[in-house]
Amino acid sequence: MKKLNINNQTVEVDFDEDTPLLWVIRDEAGLTGTKFGCGIAQCGACTVHIDGVPVRSCSYPASAVPESARITTVEGLAGDELHPVQQAWMEVQVPQCGYCQSGQILAAAALLENNRTPSDEEIDAAMTNICRCGTYPRIRKAIRRAAELMA
Amino acid sequence: MSLSRRKFLQTTLLTSIAGSGLLLGCSRASKQILSVPNASDASLGMWLRVGSDDQITVVVPSAEMGQGVTTSLTSIVAEELEVELSRVQVALAPANTEYNNPEMGMQGTGGSNSVLAWWEPLRKIGASARSMLVQAAAQQMQVPATECTVEDGVVKHPSGKSLRYGEVAAAAAKLEVPSEPALKASKDYRYVGKSTPRLDNRAKVTGSAQFGIDVQVPGMLYAAVRQSPVFGAEVASYDDAWARQQKGVVAVVPIPNGVAVVADSYWRARKAMLALPVTFEGGKTLGQSDASIRESFVAALDDVGKATLSGGQMIDVEYEVPYLAHATMEPMNCTADVQPNRCTVWAPTQFPGMAKGKVADLTGLDEEQVTINCTYLGGGFGRRAEQDFLVHAVLVSKAVGKPVKLIWTREEDTQHDFYRPAYLSRLQVQLGADGAPEQWEHQLAGPSILSQLTERAFDTRIISSVMGWLDWDMTSTEGTKLPYRVKDSNVDYAIVDPGVPVGFWRSVGSSHNAFTVESVMDEAAHLAGKDPLEYRLALLQDHPRHANVLKRAAEDAGWGSPLPSGHAQGLAVHESFKSIVAHVFEVSVENGAVRVHKVHSAIDCGRYVNPEIIRQQVEGSIVFGISSTLREKISIQAGQVSNSNYHDYPVARMTDSPEISVSLMENDEAPGGVGEPGVPPVAPALCNAIFAATGKRIRKLPIADQLA
Repeated sequence: MKKLNINNQTVEVDFDEDTPLLWVIRDEAGLTGTKFGCGIAQCGACTVHIDGVPVRSCSYPASAVPESARITTVEGLAGDELHPVQQAWMEVQVPQCGYCQSGQILAAAALLENNRTPSDEEIDAAMTNICRCGTYPRIRKAIRRAAELMA
Repeated sequence: MSLSRRKFLQTTLLTSIAGSGLLLGCSRASKQILSVPNASDASLGMWLRVGSDDQITVVVPSAEMGQGVTTSLTSIVAEELEVELSRVQVALAPANTEYNNPEMGMQGTGGSNSVLAWWEPLRKIGASARSMLVQAAAQQMQVPATECTVEDGVVKHPSGKSLRYGEVAAAAAKLEVPSEPALKASKDYRYVGKSTPRLDNRAKVTGSAQFGIDVQVPGMLYAAVRQSPVFGAEVASYDDAWARQQKGVVAVVPIPNGVAVVADSYWRARKAMLALPVTFEGGKTLGQSDASIRESFVAALDDVGKATLSGGQMIDVEYEVPYLAHATMEPMNCTADVQPNRCTVWAPTQFPGMAKGKVADLTGLDEEQVTINCTYLGGGFGRRAEQDFLVHAVLVSKAVGKPVKLIWTREEDTQHDFYRPAYLSRLQVQLGADGAPEQWEHQLAGPSILSQLTERAFDTRIISSVMGWLDWDMTSTEGTKLPYRVKDSNVDYAIVDPGVPVGFWRSVGSSHNAFTVESVMDEAAHLAGKDPLEYRLALLQDHPRHANVLKRAAEDAGWGSPLPSGHAQGLAVHESFKSIVAHVFEVSVENGAVRVHKVHSAIDCGRYVNPEIIRQQVEGSIVFGISSTLREKISIQAGQVSNSNYHDYPVARMTDSPEISVSLMENDEAPGGVGEPGVPPVAPALCNAIFAATGKRIRKLPIADQLA
């Protein structure tokens, strides 16, 4: 058994040494908002934060996460209110099928945490997650809107 | 449509509705519906549930795969029912013939037809329910029903008396169903025609939306599959003893053309599946390659032969498109629980109606013992019209006697799709003295989706309804018909099937035929020395809607106005699924790479429900089309797909995404589709813009490194 801090809650989980964090979050902790897309860190559907840094959890061994680290998933992003990125996502109406959006939102939240006025190039560089529905124009718009809400 | 008494209204306690909920169920009972829904489905109320706490739940008969159908269909019901849309809950319909799509005669979502097929039936369901609730309230208030009005689920009388829907639902449930309920006038619409926010927004930004892959059943096991890389090959051997020694592995279960490894966690199942010693033999695509497939298309077209033109200004060209994958973000998956006397399936499927019979066949159970629950779909694009992943889950659960969640790897998903077929086209076009096309000859070779559907031994009832729905071989030839006035035009189609599985891919036949036809129109315009917009408009006399859409997109794009240095525009217009879409692409080409800067789009989909959802669909279609036009290609080598994941089947990312504007045409025409029609004009408009920028004509997709 190992202790992990997920969304400010300590969870005791049991897993094989090489199990990616994604499957521990989904199947052991029961938080299914984080998605499996490719398994090789290509698509970003599995993006979570470890101490605020976005990581692709499908390719990140759960055993490499220190017990002291704070893991944040989409379920833990909101406080009493939705996170500004989630608010902006609703305002701009980004989601279509919605499957990739947890990862997109976590990636955007991490970008804006460090940079409140990202240029188009900086958005391109930070937002490499795949959306097969093609919501990219709205993601770009929603990131700008979230930046306003965070200002 | 008529509404019958049979199962129209029920009052049953439902625990999922807060408090002592009451249910109001309606039946469409249209001609296509022949069977009676089983008791457990009926107890949930077939269409509409009104809780005593006034919670209203609308059952949506179509699959939500991103197209916003839960919002658009619920809007239609809420409009007639007179309730606030934002507080209506949506339930996804389980498999039941009650939910058969009126246009298709089976329960399924495809062909961009949900709104057009369900608009009238759902209006009547909403209006009938409202009428009965008003009648019940009027009786209780002892006032004439005709004097009552409804405001957000509250029945009001001028005397000041009022009753909430939740207070009268039980009484309403006992009333006669009106045969022709009064429908609202369109001028009074609050939701239909307005950009109401999607009902699934919140669930999809908080991670609570439940997709197939998120289903959790107590005591369930996990399975990972390995299918023969060569299509149709059989498993020759596998090391069962080795597998059983692996940590957590419970069983290895044979599935069609492969095996499934079952374990107590997905990671253990997946690891054992990847390492499992397994060999395959045979296969129907053995020896096939991109080159051999192309040769078979060439041979077929040589057999058909080209038309002889009379001389003068002529076009004689070949156009070519590859196999394409759907590459939905949610890999194929399904959860099944097969027990001796019942089977429950949770599936992200576009065609739950087809699934039910399939599961009954696989399990030996009666259809009444089979429950198919539908989840949100993490993308569909036609892929989830197929039943293969569902068959796997049912076979595996049946073998181990426990509930099983079966998840494909991305690699399996990429290599075992039902692909958009590859095609080769030849066109010969004769221009007249005025430069307009006089003779248009098109020969097409490639696989037929419909003939493969037949081969896959689908239920014959389904095949006949699919044929009725799509018309014979429209799957390959739709989109070849010209809207332009051309004296003589012919299309020949030669079916060539190299054995690679093919299926419905967003916009189906139009996905490739629009590229060919609208590119050749552009070639004709340039050959005639005419502006591509003026050239088309002059030939669209018989299709004013096409002309208007094209003009609108061109106006929005400032067609003909000066552009930044190095930029150029291209356009295309195409009708599919009863809607017409035109795109104007603005591109530049630098260092062998094309960059799409802006797209101005216009859509005529007739009367519409939610314009913002339509804009979302057109935007998404444009990015989807850019993706396949630029880079997507499924490559066949040694009888198998050589692509495996997003690194070697690259789909569009943020950097490929242009600025997009979408205009909607306002008219009162019959509703058309919106999920697919934005895709077909993308490839030709993009490639026509490349020609305008560089003089290089792209006749083969994807563009890949052709500009280098």
